[in-house]
Amino acid sequence: MSEYVVEMEHVDKRFPGVHALDDVSFQLRPGEVMALLGENGAGKSTLMKVLGGVYQRDAGTVRVFDREVGDLTPKLAQELGIAMIHQELNMCTQLSVAENIFLGRELARNGLLSNREMHRRSREVLDRLKIDIDPDTVVGDISVSKQQMVEIAKALQANAKILIMDEPTSALTAKEIEDLFAIIRLLRSEGHGIVYISHRLEELQHIVDRVTIMRDGKFICAMDYADATMDMIIENMVGREIKEKFPHVECGRGRKLFEVRHLNAGRMVRDINFELYEGEIVGIAGLMGAGRTEITRAIFGVDPSASGEITLEGKPVRIVKAEDAIRSGIVLAPEDRKRDGLCTKLSVRENIALPNLDLLCNAAGVVNRRRESEMVRKTIAGFSVKLTGPEMIAGNLSGGNQQKVVVGKWLARDSKVVIFDEPTRGIDVAAKVEIYHLMNRLKRNGIGVLFVSSEMPEVLGMADRIIVVCDGRITGVFPRSEATQTKVLEYAMKFENKSDRLEVAGR
Amino acid sequence: MEARGNPIKRLFAIRGMGQVLTVTLGLIVLCIVFSFLNPLFLSGRNIANLSRQIVPILLVGISQSYVLITGNIDLSIGSVLGMSCMISATLMTKGVGPWLSVALTVVSCLVIGLINGVLVAKCKLPPFIATLGTMTIARGIAQIANNNYNTDAIGDAAQGFRDFFYYGRVLGIYSPVILAAALWLVFNFLLGRTRTGRHIYAVGSNIEASRLSGVNVNRTVIIAYLVSAFCAGVVGLMTTATSGMGAMDAGNMYEMYAVAASVIGGVSTLGGQGILLGTVIGAAIWSVLQNGLQFAGAPVAIRNIVIGSIVIVSVLLDIVIRSGRWSFRSKKIS
Repeated sequence: MSEYVVEMEHVDKRFPGVHALDDVSFQLRPGEVMALLGENGAGKSTLMKVLGGVYQRDAGTVRVFDREVGDLTPKLAQELGIAMIHQELNMCTQLSVAENIFLGRELARNGLLSNREMHRRSREVLDRLKIDIDPDTVVGDISVSKQQMVEIAKALQANAKILIMDEPTSALTAKEIEDLFAIIRLLRSEGHGIVYISHRLEELQHIVDRVTIMRDGKFICAMDYADATMDMIIENMVGREIKEKFPHVECGRGRKLFEVRHLNAGRMVRDINFELYEGEIVGIAGLMGAGRTEITRAIFGVDPSASGEITLEGKPVRIVKAEDAIRSGIVLAPEDRKRDGLCTKLSVRENIALPNLDLLCNAAGVVNRRRESEMVRKTIAGFSVKLTGPEMIAGNLSGGNQQKVVVGKWLARDSKVVIFDEPTRGIDVAAKVEIYHLMNRLKRNGIGVLFVSSEMPEVLGMADRIIVVCDGRITGVFPRSEATQTKVLEYAMKFENKSDRLEVAGR
Repeated sequence: MEARGNPIKRLFAIRGMGQVLTVTLGLIVLCIVFSFLNPLFLSGRNIANLSRQIVPILLVGISQSYVLITGNIDLSIGSVLGMSCMISATLMTKGVGPWLSVALTVVSCLVIGLINGVLVAKCKLPPFIATLGTMTIARGIAQIANNNYNTDAIGDAAQGFRDFFYYGRVLGIYSPVILAAALWLVFNFLLGRTRTGRHIYAVGSNIEASRLSGVNVNRTVIIAYLVSAFCAGVVGLMTTATSGMGAMDAGNMYEMYAVAASVIGGVSTLGGQGILLGTVIGAAIWSVLQNGLQFAGAPVAIRNIVIGSIVIVSVLLDIVIRSGRWSFRSKKIS
């Protein structure tokens, strides 16, 4: 009998263009809480999805309770006693707590649902976890933290012995985190193995026994938490090799172009202040869910902001909807090009003309074809978009060329600030370099570039100034010369100390 | 299980009951208003009449409710009804025994339901398109059944059939009312008290969560469409029994009446919500409106406009209430 409940060895997984897991090993003992740590894209979630049967591994062995298992499906993983508590909760919000706990495994006698029995057993498992909810409550009516606890209850009711929690505390308040930790400690004492994925290093001291660190899809190290220091952990998390060369260019910083003061919009955008000068690229770095995208959306007017002032070339601008931002010269190249950035079924010509129809139409709303084709020709030539002709369908362009069209359509109208949200996600290296050149060109032309990315090397390589965000707040601003990976990561993990008040007794 | 207060509180504790009771209040108000407009509205004869008028709407309402709760829609209900009417009548005029005709008719309706279910669940067709297609096909079958003619009278041999589905009475209650009540009890039980029913709600509420919890999603959706086609088929048989012949345009627009009965009764077009008791009230409101407006002397056109408006308002309310309550928009950004 092995001391481990889960042993994963030499696990390999490739997605098109990405080697997501490269010869990864991972072990979990019963009755321990294992923190799985790593930067964005290190492969933590992928590894756990392999264990949970969501993804199939390409190579490697997985042993669960000393039993070698082949290809896993979510159902098979469940039967083996593995349960994933998903980051985005997966519940039927119109059904009751008890109904969700027994979903797919309803108790019935002669075809008749045994509602009382299910109610009773739900109550039992909720009581065991000291969760105070009536099993008859409709799940949509309870808080996110309670929903999460119901998911845990559901896992236990299904006899799960291995629980995988992916960023379980990201949406919780201090009190709720305390309750969750109490549950985790209880499960640990009952001999469950728990994998705990989190970016919040300060939480680890309250519950974690061991840590496993991954980087770039590789296993880096595993150690007892007692032997680890924060510095050691951070050091092992960073130090990604910088494979690409970043074509950074220097050009003198001009006048102040754009300024954001005290911008607030919900929990993920809190008191954001920064400015942007001509001839500079400002990078926004932060971990997954730090609020980067939310900040760009609030600036662009897609999400309503509660307060804040935005100044463009010294003049205040009022932005309540995206149209206002576009009119004043602030444009956004969104994260998901295919969904938010382009009409993929329309031609390149139509895509370029779309946001500029006000310039291209006469008073009656008829498109001036001559002006349109002139604009399209200039944009295509100006950005050297590679295509068969302006009538080519935008969805058939390569990723890099799509990005050029997204940006090109905005610059056809004299925009002053361009916000890039994850512009290089999911495209190959050559196309990435093209996008870097594109940003440099904008920078040289005196356009302010705001560059949001979860790839830290990319931000460090391209930006003149780096703003680090965490939990919807700016935690640090560094000029290019002072920014290092370690420093940026350190500030990216400066969470508000929600768990400060927790007693450390559980350790 | 802990004891829970008085019976009224227990009644409200049943999920969806609050909405049903609200709508019931509306029904009562309607009845009072119509009885003022025309005292004959509450006469015994009209009540008996109303009870029979409700039956087809209630049954197709059950059809649509099942499908709506899974988060889909069935536009083929009216055509399946027409097809059932024409197939059964044609078979009987051609000398096939009435009960064999009934069996063959039900099977043919179930085939359409099966096709709907497979297209939506397995082939992932948008339910609107899939059932729009089968709606046209089923209507075509209704027309082809007797070479593009309505049928002749089904004759005296079918008197038992006609009594069973329309003219008979037990203890003074019309047989279609008894039949509808029996079917309602069966399908209410299936939806509320069995695993299949639970899965129908779960699939409509969150299909991905259901799949990850081991629910056979495809099977569940197919069952809902089978129930839908079955009930529509029964109404087709009742239509044949009523008029004693087959009419090619029977059931025209019934898919829409079915949506009306469902959504007025609180079944959500967004899936996962609603109970069949609500469908009863919804069907009753539909019938009372038709009947009451007729009594009050309103022309058919006005009745259509009123009922159409009520459907839109019901769905609008549902969407407003739901999006106000379970708005996850801001969560989905990152």
